[in-house]
Amino acid sequence: MNNTKLIVSHAPFWHDGDSLFQLNLNYLIALLPAALFGILQFGATALGVLTLSVAFAMLWETIMNLVSRQDMTIGNLESAVIGLLFGMMLPATAPWWIVVIGTFVCVVIGKYIFGGTGGNPFHPTLVGMAILMMSWPVYFDFDAAYVSYEFDFTALAPLAAVKFQGAGAAELFPVGGLLAGQEVGAIGAVFGLGLIIGGVYLILRGYTRWEIVVSFLAGIIITGGLFSLTNPDAYPSPLFHLFSGYTLLGAFFLATENSSSPVNRIPMLIYGFLGGFMIILMRNIGAYADGTVLAILLINLVNPLIDNIRPKALGKGVTNA
Amino acid sequence: MAQSLAKEFTKGLWAELPPFRLVLGLCPVLAVTKTVENGLGMGIATTFVLVFSNLLVSMLRNVIPTKVRIACYIVIIATFVTIVEFLAQAFAYPLFLALGIFIPLIVVNCIVLGRAEAFASKNTPVMAIADGLGIGIGFTLSLGAIGLVREFLGAGTITIWGGTPVFDMTSVFANFQPFGFMIEAPGAFVALGLMLAVMNLIPSK
Amino acid sequence: MREMISMVVVLTVLTAVSGGLLAAIKSGTELRIEEQVLKFQKAPAIAQIFTDVSNDPLAERFNVETEGTTLQVFPGKLEDGGTAVAFETKGKGGYGGDVGLMVGINTDNDQIIAVRVTTHSETPGLGARAKDDPSFVSQFADLSLEENLDLKNNNGSIDAMSGATITSQAVCLAAIQAQELYKKLKPEILKQIQ
Repeated sequence: MNNTKLIVSHAPFWHDGDSLFQLNLNYLIALLPAALFGILQFGATALGVLTLSVAFAMLWETIMNLVSRQDMTIGNLESAVIGLLFGMMLPATAPWWIVVIGTFVCVVIGKYIFGGTGGNPFHPTLVGMAILMMSWPVYFDFDAAYVSYEFDFTALAPLAAVKFQGAGAAELFPVGGLLAGQEVGAIGAVFGLGLIIGGVYLILRGYTRWEIVVSFLAGIIITGGLFSLTNPDAYPSPLFHLFSGYTLLGAFFLATENSSSPVNRIPMLIYGFLGGFMIILMRNIGAYADGTVLAILLINLVNPLIDNIRPKALGKGVTNA
Repeated sequence: MAQSLAKEFTKGLWAELPPFRLVLGLCPVLAVTKTVENGLGMGIATTFVLVFSNLLVSMLRNVIPTKVRIACYIVIIATFVTIVEFLAQAFAYPLFLALGIFIPLIVVNCIVLGRAEAFASKNTPVMAIADGLGIGIGFTLSLGAIGLVREFLGAGTITIWGGTPVFDMTSVFANFQPFGFMIEAPGAFVALGLMLAVMNLIPSK
Repeated sequence: MREMISMVVVLTVLTAVSGGLLAAIKSGTELRIEEQVLKFQKAPAIAQIFTDVSNDPLAERFNVETEGTTLQVFPGKLEDGGTAVAFETKGKGGYGGDVGLMVGINTDNDQIIAVRVTTHSETPGLGARAKDDPSFVSQFADLSLEENLDLKNNNGSIDAMSGATITSQAVCLAAIQAQELYKKLKPEILKQIQ
């Protein structure tokens, strides 16, 4: 580092001296427990989906680098994280072409078109998920995906069961079982404990901000609790919502993505809370069984707006800093 | 004369290709290109309006007072749009149903008014026709191209004319499943954006 | 002043010519347009409703006047000797505009024979299933006209299509409208049918 120039950029700052490579490596490490558990639970096909997803995400990034004649950026592992997250959100039975097209949408449309690292207004993985869920809803039906599997627990996707059979179905899924991965779902979203360990690791290392995670979970508990209090027969308890579907994956890994989440404390709290609030609304009132993908896309969308809540700039007469 | 005539005609086909080079007239581009057939039909309707309004504006260019020229152009354009609507209803009814409100909306298509104001009002009728025909055919082909991409990816078929697909992916791969997102409205933006990006890789001149 | 006059004259002449031209084209294409509407919108629906009639409902169509509007009625002679009629109503408030519904009614026992969607601009794959997939509209078949033709949410007897409640509601509205129209116009329709 013989860079003698002192470059001052605009506030606010959030830099801990790390590189992108380190950041993304830590993300991968944090995702490992949940991903490994998914492979153990769903077998070799899950491993196939995850490896294909990571490989193709990096491949698309390489192709885009070549097409746009820019430096190779796959070394910073960002596309690997996007690919791994995408794979973890799929059922283990997803066909190969879903993975190939999905990673294309994630990396090229979700990230590269907006200018690559740091330019994406939405979490790239969620862009891919939303577009694919719209095109091929059949493959995201977890009940249908695992019909040929044998499990020693209730082989029903918890959120879909509650949606179509009423809140009573939530009793089939004890919280302990959900935490230990005793549920049917996406490869990387079933093992609640692993996701929490990974997420806490990232927070402790300073890679994700606790404000977003905590307010996100608080949004779910408070909104879900209010629903459950007003009519316990119709709406399951907030703890059920907290540990089922994509909730934990969304709270710890998706909502906290750096370029699509706010930088200041109050906006972060609003951002996270809004995400949890929207998830519960979509699950309890909306048409979707799991609204996590759309809820987080929605808070990504309002992020620039709430990011305007910021401290006044120092100095005199500066009104529009 | 003959050379400049050819130039006016061909510029609409490449250098000033409406949706891709000028990025004009995007409303029908995004809205009706669910199939190749709809795209081509919309393009032909627009071409008809474009050629005749160009011709008339050019013929009347010395008569129309400057102050009310826009009003006059709109009257001329609206007349031809209404004629197109009647003709489509009478002779291509299924297409008329598919295009719906977007046929009347040709009136406010900025390509048509733009050509009348920027070209036809300053040039001879023959040149104006060449210009209108060139831009119109360019527009038609662009709409057909976007329709091809969207229909092929989004429905797995290619429908050129008459409502029956000339090509169907399911006959090649029996369990082919189309990428339905492309047929939806947001898919139109993504398809147009990607095609614009590809077009920008090729220099316009 | 001269400019003023020329402005007025040019605009007047232009609009007059335009109006005349359009009137001529409208009257020239009117018949053909009506034929096309019959052929592409109403004929397929009628063919699906009257599967076994011995006459040609399209050729024998007649008009019934009601409160200033004209209702086009297609009569059908059923195989068992009974008569039936079909006519179209518009259900307000579909997701993309009004939903046209052709309703076939058996005039002998006042039962609905079948209904079919004619025109709509609903979302493909969701609301458009009302037309493409007959399982929703077939719920109307053989219902008596005394029945409440609304959705089950509104104490009716029709199940809404999943994900397309608004379209389902519009179809039901059209059916209810047909029900009321038929009750009101039955004597006149029977008089014309013979």
